[in-house]
Parts: sequence; C-alpha cells; structure tokens
Amino acid sequence: MLIYPLTDDQKLLLDLIKQIGEEYIKPYALEWDEKEIYDEKPIKALAHADLFGIIIPEEYGGLGWGSFEMCLAVEYLSYYCAGVSTTYAASFLGCYPILLFGNKEQKAKYLPFIATGKKLCAFALTEPQAGSDAFAIKTTAKKEGDYYILNGMKQWITNGGIADIYIVIAMTDPAKGARGASAFIVEKDDPGFSIGKKEKKLGLRASVTTELFFNDCKIPRDRLLAREGMGFIVALKTLDYARCGAGAQALGIAQAAMEVALKHATSRVQFGQPIYNFQAVSHTFAEMAMKIEAARALVYNVAKYIDSGAKDFSGASSMAKCLATDTAMWVTERAIQMMGGYGYMRDYPVQKYFRDAKCLQIYEGTNEIQKNVIARELLKYYK
Amino acid sequence: MIEKIKLEDLKKENILAFGEIYQGKLHPSSLEILTPLKEIAEKLDKSLILVCLADSLESIHDLESLKKSLADEVWFIFHSKLRDFKDDLYARVFIEIIKSTNPYGVFFPATLIGVSIAPRIAGVLNLGLCAHVNALEIENNQIIMARPTYGENIIAKLTSKTIPVMATISIGAFSPKTSEKTPVFKEVIFPENFSWESALKVRSFRSSKKKPSRLSTAKVVVAGGRGLKNKENFQKLFELAEILKAEVGATRPVCYEGWVEEERMIGVSGVTVKPKVYIGFGISGALQHTAGMENSEFIIAINTDKEAPLVKMAHLSLIGDAKKILDLLLKKLKR
Amino acid sequence: MEKIIVCIKGVPKPGTVKVDPETHTLKRESMELILNPNDRPALEMAIRLKEKYGAEITVISMGPSNIIPLLKQAYALGIDQMILLSDRAFAGADTLATSYVLARAIEKLSPFSIVLMGLKSIDGETAQVPSETAGLLGLPSLINIKELKKEDDKWIAIRENEYGEEEIEVESSLLASVSPQAFDYLRPPSLKRLIEVKEKEPLIWTASDIQAEPEKLGLKGSPTQVVDVFEKKLEMKGTILEGEPQELVEKFIEVLKEKEIIKI
Repeated sequence: MLIYPLTDDQKLLLDLIKQIGEEYIKPYALEWDEKEIYDEKPIKALAHADLFGIIIPEEYGGLGWGSFEMCLAVEYLSYYCAGVSTTYAASFLGCYPILLFGNKEQKAKYLPFIATGKKLCAFALTEPQAGSDAFAIKTTAKKEGDYYILNGMKQWITNGGIADIYIVIAMTDPAKGARGASAFIVEKDDPGFSIGKKEKKLGLRASVTTELFFNDCKIPRDRLLAREGMGFIVALKTLDYARCGAGAQALGIAQAAMEVALKHATSRVQFGQPIYNFQAVSHTFAEMAMKIEAARALVYNVAKYIDSGAKDFSGASSMAKCLATDTAMWVTERAIQMMGGYGYMRDYPVQKYFRDAKCLQIYEGTNEIQKNVIARELLKYYK
Repeated sequence: MIEKIKLEDLKKENILAFGEIYQGKLHPSSLEILTPLKEIAEKLDKSLILVCLADSLESIHDLESLKKSLADEVWFIFHSKLRDFKDDLYARVFIEIIKSTNPYGVFFPATLIGVSIAPRIAGVLNLGLCAHVNALEIENNQIIMARPTYGENIIAKLTSKTIPVMATISIGAFSPKTSEKTPVFKEVIFPENFSWESALKVRSFRSSKKKPSRLSTAKVVVAGGRGLKNKENFQKLFELAEILKAEVGATRPVCYEGWVEEERMIGVSGVTVKPKVYIGFGISGALQHTAGMENSEFIIAINTDKEAPLVKMAHLSLIGDAKKILDLLLKKLKR
Repeated sequence: MEKIIVCIKGVPKPGTVKVDPETHTLKRESMELILNPNDRPALEMAIRLKEKYGAEITVISMGPSNIIPLLKQAYALGIDQMILLSDRAFAGADTLATSYVLARAIEKLSPFSIVLMGLKSIDGETAQVPSETAGLLGLPSLINIKELKKEDDKWIAIRENEYGEEEIEVESSLLASVSPQAFDYLRPPSLKRLIEVKEKEPLIWTASDIQAEPEKLGLKGSPTQVVDVFEKKLEMKGTILEGEPQELVEKFIEVLKEKEIIKI
C-alpha cells in the first residue's frame, strides 16, 4: 500500500526480478516444492542478470550497491519462491565474510566469480551440538606448515554441494574458547572435503541443505580470513549484515500469502456473497496489511541504516529479522485460515508459504536468540 | 514408363503445387492442397500440376497415391543432388520451372520445407507470397485467399498483385481426395548448363524418435489451453487421452509456454483436426485455434467464461474450472 | 572477429491489437509492443556464439520509434550494436517489402558471418521473412536450426524438420532462423547492461541510408494485399451447463457414453 520512492536503477532491479520471477520461477515453484528438487535455471538466470553482484564493489565486477538493494532483490524473489531466494540469500551470507574481512588477494581471487554468479557461496557455522550456542563448535583447524588441516563436520548448511566456496568457522585454538575460532575459505574440490546427505525439509524445499565433512581437509594457509581467533567476529558481523535479508524474505512471503488469500476472499462466495464482505475476514486482511507494512518499514529502514555507514547495528538488524519473520508466520497462518480448505490443499500455494515462513523464525539465529541480542543491545543504549 | 520432356516443352500457364518428397516419402499435405487447387484450376480452366523433386523414380515410395491424386500431371525432376533437401537448390529448380512455364499460381504445403523454399523463390523473383492460407476462392477471375490473422478473431482476405500467385497452404486444412483419372507422369529434363550445386551439404540425417502425432486424423481430440493453468495440469490430458483413445492437442499460447511440443498445436499455424468429438479444456477459442477445429463433428467446451468463443461454438459447454473438471473426470473414469 | 546480425521484430502484446479499417493494416503506433518471443532463441544463439568464438552482434529491426525499447532489451541481453530501420515509406509492408528492407540493411552491414532470425513472429506467423530475405540476398538459408557451431572455416548446423534432424555444412556466410525449441534456457537481461543502455540510442537508418528503391517499399512495394478483413461472429449453438463440478462431470460422462467414446 505504501509506495517507497526508488531510483530509476532500483526500479530496473525490481522489474528484472519480477521478470525472472514470472518466467523462471512462478510456473515451477509448486513443482519444486512438491518434489523437493533444486533447479539451477533460476540461479543461472539471476547470475546472467548480474544479481549476485549487488553488494560487491564495481572494481570486482559487482554493482556496488548496499543492503537496501539486496533486501529489495531478496524480498521480490521471495514473493515468487522463498526456496530460490534462500539459495540466493545464502550465497550472500557466504560472500559477506570475504567482502568484510578478506584481504586484497582474497577479494580479487573470489569476488569476481561471486559477482557474476559463476561461483555460489555457502556459510558453515552450525554443528550438531552447536546451534544457538555457536561457541560450542568442535570442528578444528590445525596449522601444519603452509597449510591448515580441518577436521569435523557442519550441519544444515544451505547450498551444501551446489556452492563452490564455503566459509567455514573452525577452532584453531580450542583452549581459548570463543577467541580460539577462525574463519576459512574452503573450495569445493579441496582434498578431504565432502558433502553429506541432503536434508528433507518442511519448507524451503527448492533449496539445498546438507552436511559438510572435513576429513584431514588440507587447505593453503592463505585461505584464512582476517587473523586466527577472529572466527566468531567474522561470523557475527556477517550475520548482522545478513539478517536484514531474512527479514526481506519474510516480507516477500507474507505479501504473496496476503495477495493469494485476498484474491480468494473477494471471489469466494458463501452465504450469497463474497466472504470478504464478512468483517471477520476483512479485518483479518486489514491486520495483515498493517503488519506487513510495519515490518517492511522496519526492514527497509534498518537496511538503509546499515548503508548509511552505521557501525553498530546488531540490535537493529535483529529487530528487523525477528519482527518480519514473526509477521510472515502470522500472516501465512491467517492466509490459510482465510482460504479454509483451499488453503490447506497442496494445489494452492499458501500452505507452501506457511511452511517456508516457519524456517525464517529458526535460521540465521532463532528469533529467541534475536531477542537476546536486542535485550543485550538495549542495555547499551539505556544504561 | 514415364515420358521424358524437356523443360522448354512443358505445358505453360498452369497451377503448380509442390509435392514434398523427403527420404522417398510423400508428405500427405502435398495431396491435401490439391483438393482446393483442383477447384481453382477448373474454374480458371488451367491444368493442375504436382511438381516433385527427388533422387530417382525408384526412390519414391508413394507412387500409388500419386497415381490416384487430383493432379492432371505430375512432373518429376530427378537428380542425384536432389536426394537431400537443400533450400537453395530446390528453390532454383522451381525458379527454372516458373521461368519457362509461366504458371498462374504456385502453391506449397506450409510444412517446414514448404516455408523454406516458397519464400526463397518469392524473394528471388520478387513475387507476393501469402502464408498459411486455409481457404481459396475465385472472384472476378482472381484467386482470393483467406487466413485468420492478428491472433484475434479476424479473418483477412488476400490477393497477390504478381503472377504467379503464390501461397503456402495450412497443413490439414483440406482433406485429400482421390481421382479416377490417373495423372500423366512426366520426367522433366533440365538444360545441360543448369548447375546442381548447392552451398549446403547435408552430412547426416537422424530420424526423429518421436512417434509422429496422429492428431490430424484422430477420432477423438482432447485439447487444452491456458485455462489449465500449468504444465502439470496439462500433462493430465495425456492420461485422459489414453482412456478415451484420443490424441492430445493444444492452443498456441500453451505450446509457446512449453507445456507441450509445438506439433500438438491446433490452428492456423498448426494442425487442423476434424474428429468425431473434440473436447477443449480451458480453451477460450481464439480464431487461431478454432480455425483448426471448427469442423469437428461434436464440440465440448469446458471453460469458466460463458462468453468465450469456444463456448459459443460448442455443442455442449460445461461452465467451470477446467482443471477441477479434468481431475474429477479422470478420477471417475479410472474407477 | 565474426560479425553476427540478428533481426528482431516488435509484436503486439496479445490482446492489444487494433486494425485500421481503411488500410486493413495493424495500427502499430497504438499497440503495446513486446519483443517477438520467438526471437529470443535467435538472440540467445548469437550471444552463445559470441561467448564461444568472439563476435560482434548487431541487432536490426524495422518499425517506428516505439521499437527502440525492444532493441534496448536485446542490448541488455548482450548484443553490441542497435540499428532501427525507420521510415514512413516502410509502413504497410508485407513479407516481401519487409524482407527487402532487411536485405538492404544487411547488405550495408556486410561483410558478416551469420544472420539469425526467429522462426516466425507470433503475430504474422508467416515464417517467410528469413528465406525471403535470403532469397533477395542470394544467401544460403536454413530454417528452424537448433544448433550452430564452427568447424575450421565451416559452419555446422543442426536443422530440425518434421522428419528428424539433419546435420548440415555450410562453407559461406548464411542466414538461419532458429527453432523456438532450440534452447531449454534463455538468459534474462543483465542489470548492468540495462543501466548502461539507458544512455544509448540505436542508429537510425532511413530508406535513403540503405539505398532502397522507393517502389519496393511499404504498402506500395507489397504484392500481397488485404482486400477485406472481417470479424468472425459466433452464434450460440449448443447446450450450456452450469453447476457443481460433480454434476457437470456426470453429465460429461453420459455424453461420452452416448458418443460411444467410453463403454459402460
């Protein structure tokens, strides 16, 4: 309902995303979901469209834009399929560490391939015993001469197997606890690196989630990002940047769910009139619209805050992620209710939106963890 | 034996039709187009000639159907270099014939080969060429051709200012007929100095593995349009077709969407069907499509829109969601 | 470096067509135009050839200035040069007069290696322009190719027809129309190029720029003429059934039995 002023180039971006959505995603999204298959065509299309280069500086072949444009792209892509947008957004998650902490050589080596979409990225932090408690990771990296030797496993890694570049957080000095972790760039073909089984998921089924195994995985020492001991700083800063993207995904899903349900409510006749005429229905839509716009306002503002050069935005980006994804969960659940039996049937997309939305409350930090962050940051502001 | 005749001795000012022979097989549409052309030729008091290019007489499998065709004469041009279809050479052979016999009309079936050479000839000789016509008539001693056009429910009547009048004729638009009178077969001898060379060299041919669709002769046709919403729903038509022993047809937009291969397209630029029963799921009935099925004996339309052209044409219309009705129907029939 | 020419066409967005009752031609100015969908495989093939062998791609289109956005779309896909063939004298052209203008423009662009077009436009659907243009240029032509590659100095094409696929060798430059089914993936435009092309304008060539003979242009140069256009009006002739799908299907099955399509 609110129309945000966009530059001509941002409008071109949206038109292009819509074109890709209509042509490469919309006709197939339900089928990918049903069969739980990853199709590389929409990813190829996003690559040809330069959209993997949004946040990458022009000198490395990107568009040199910021979080706001990244959010626009992710939001509109999620409108068509949150599974595809997960593959897309997860690649940013893997790209940020190089962008933020990579040295000149690392940037020059990897960013041009990422910008053109020739190489996909993945970000690997979670392990079976280390979810919300990320500091509990056990994967180790031992320095041996000019190499690091990685051992351990990662779990639930988006883009596992389809990515070429993996950012892996591993302990270089377990004795130091949180300060003993480091971030590494692992390439698909590195010796000792392998991909585990593909997970079966409730939603986001067009995306790929796998385990990663490191069995004496040997990588050159120049794959270390920043310095030894910086691992969690790299991870947390990356998540600070990427969280807005999860919020943007939520906006796209919620918007799509509302639109589908609204179309149903205005055409479905019961008791001699469209059900939208009943207040219980129309008020629900009024609430959906309010909540979506509120979430969108927050996500856009946080993205612009980040782009303005803000240094400390952990609390802000947590708010954007938490509010927007909770909104998407609420809206998609209501959308099913507004459609009754139609909403529950797998021939219609709202049940997919509902299942997709659920993951957003969990990944990139559960919403409970987001609230911990917000609560912690609150005390910094209001001592 | 076939009479041999020099190019310059051939009968002049005829109506010529292209007899498409590929790998020794005569394309059925070459016989179809003789049906309207015979009428035209009689009204104009011209002879109807079928012109066939081939490797040799022995290589042609369908001599019997040629003997029963409506043509007054069949002209054969034999040369080893004509074994493969080469656009430039085939066009030049035709141009030689046109130049020395001054035909009044030259017609081609709108096959891919037809639309490969007819326009080349038109380009070289600067002649008008009408595309995919599906009706021909004579008005004031002039050939008038018709075709649906502009993707809407508009029919255009066309003429061509240049002689010979040239057109490609829609595949399946006419039924082939046979004649009691056997046409005279002639082998045309080309001048010594005619060059049989081509810029194209056919290295190999791989026959299509797909079964040729029997759409144009099917007794029952189940067709689908955009109203089926997506490819997955469209594919269910094949299940129905199997139960009803039918062939599956499609509208132009869904072929372009890639829901089904273009050979299944019914209409002006596709196939014309005349089944006993035609069933259209989610087809509104743009003329591009209906031109290819309007002669079906019994038409059933399933559509949400009561005002849709196909609903108006149909003998029976079910107003409702095509996908739902298809699903229910399959469920009941499978029982 | 190879030089590839792609001819594209603006077609009315389905549903936006209007016909001029006087001239019986399409009112092209008032229509919403889109790039002929069948031209996209031709552009894709050109761009893939460019990626493989290195080439400069020129795209040409005939029509009024409302074609320019379509040329820009082609640019955003990855072509290098845009040329609009635009002149009032071109209006009302049939396939021969259209092919004549294209042929003159292609000749002006020579030497070139390959000319590509879509198999047919979705409005006219004649499929005639490619071979008609080739006929005018005296250039070898292939209709409905799926693949094109180089072997030494020869071009090798895979052409598909109703019977199967042929592998064809051509030693000279050639003109080909590309099968709509040639590729299972067609790239979208590049955002960078979309931004870049905002500042670019196509070259505009008029009749005199391509040294065209006036009597061969437009309506005057078109031997085929539309003598009449009429709308087909339909009368309601059958039974119309409405109601719950369940009931409709039962009736449906009855009719199929009556017609002896299914046995009881």
